[in-house]
Amino acid sequence: MDRTGRRKRPGSFSGMKLAILSESPADEAALGVLIEAVLGGPYLRVQANLRARGWPSVAQVLPAVIRHLHFNTDAEGLVVVVDSDDSVVHTPLHDKPDYFHPQCRMCRLRAVFRQSTKNLPAARGRSRVLRGVGVAVPAVEGWYLSGMDDAVTEAAWIEGQTKEHAPYSRAQLKARVYGTDRPSLAHETHCALRQVRRIARDTRRLEFDFPGFAALAADLRSWKAR
Amino acid sequence: MLCASEDRCDLLQAVPLPTGGGIDDWPGLRDWLLRMRRYEFDHTTMGRPCPTKDGLELTTNGSNLAAVLVRRKVAAPEDFAAWKIEALRALPEYTDILAEQDEGGRAHLRLRLEEAGEVIGAEDLSQGSLYALALFALAYDPTPPAVVCVEELDRGLHPRLLREVRDAMYRLSHPETVGLNRPPVQVVATTHSPYLLELFRDHPEEVVIAQKHGRAAYFTRLCDRPDLKELMEGASLGDLWYSGILGGVPDDPSEPKPSAETD
Repeated sequence: MDRTGRRKRPGSFSGMKLAILSESPADEAALGVLIEAVLGGPYLRVQANLRARGWPSVAQVLPAVIRHLHFNTDAEGLVVVVDSDDSVVHTPLHDKPDYFHPQCRMCRLRAVFRQSTKNLPAARGRSRVLRGVGVAVPAVEGWYLSGMDDAVTEAAWIEGQTKEHAPYSRAQLKARVYGTDRPSLAHETHCALRQVRRIARDTRRLEFDFPGFAALAADLRSWKAR
Repeated sequence: MLCASEDRCDLLQAVPLPTGGGIDDWPGLRDWLLRMRRYEFDHTTMGRPCPTKDGLELTTNGSNLAAVLVRRKVAAPEDFAAWKIEALRALPEYTDILAEQDEGGRAHLRLRLEEAGEVIGAEDLSQGSLYALALFALAYDPTPPAVVCVEELDRGLHPRLLREVRDAMYRLSHPETVGLNRPPVQVVATTHSPYLLELFRDHPEEVVIAQKHGRAAYFTRLCDRPDLKELMEGASLGDLWYSGILGGVPDDPSEPKPSAETD
């Protein structure tokens, strides 16, 4: 059995050592469930309780976190997830070789990973800490509503940005998930875990509706391929 | 409206409620004003045993914290239990909190360490732990004051504990969000912590920037700043405040004074 009480799947990829850089204990708990779902089994947490204080603090602290994990821990990978808020949303155009959008948080975080790892010498038996980056559009509560509210998708948010009329606000998403836009940490964690345990049964819908999660899932699967 | 002078504010204005009521309810207003409380905790006295009979309500310096909790354990056991759960969640190095009265009628607060189960007296706690216990005690008070004023809400606290402290204040000011059916408490708290300020990013209407200019102070509601949304796109609210562009930083004597008008 894994940490979430689920039976380990046959042929699952387990035991990988990874770290999570998140904005809150609630995000961290929920991400843990989603990561296990994508990896197909439990992982080993390294350097628990890494925390950042939202954008742009995540991007500022990330190089130091990567360096620390590389030299001082056995972490094989680092997962970072941020909210997009009102920034430019990552699109397939941004994935073209040598393309970089300065206002896209996915592009920014990937660039930080590239720059932080490219000149590091091998350490602890690996060449670098693997990258796992996700961007929740516009906030992680959108992910939690996957499969429950068809109107909440990354495409809907992008369309709203184009028309300069947001289909919903972050406060509304919070209210839908938590029943209030001022949830206590305990309540936020409880609600987040309830939703991701539902989603973790099959993440394909979440990946389809939220390419910002699909990108993270692709990173994680590429770790398995190694 | 103008105060008597820039240095003296003698204006007290009673404004009817938006619903139209309140202006004639002077006894109600008096009762409300009498239930205002200000807290400036003193860790040197907070952890000490104290007479249980003094624990009717938390004092300004929090020195009767143990007595308040001993009495609450008897008078409001559900609120006490909820307080303990929240306190232990925020201070995970402890597994239990004991609020007990000795034979001499003195209240003691002790905490059981997770490691080896050792029990330590509250007088051996860190400042931040004591402040957090007191703030949670306020938040879980079954009959809280009408107005709670806290000087330097973040004082002594680990920055990662600030979220729980903010939640505790929201429990007072937005009781409906935690399923409580009682009037909201007006919370007025000061801070100089960019970390605490950042936690109000989604609610700038709850932040007032105080700007000292000479001997006068000027107060600006953060949400009144028209370009706030654009500013927050590229920086954290805490960093914006620290930079000085939101105001609330020490005065430059060479700059002209703002208008003396207040509202």
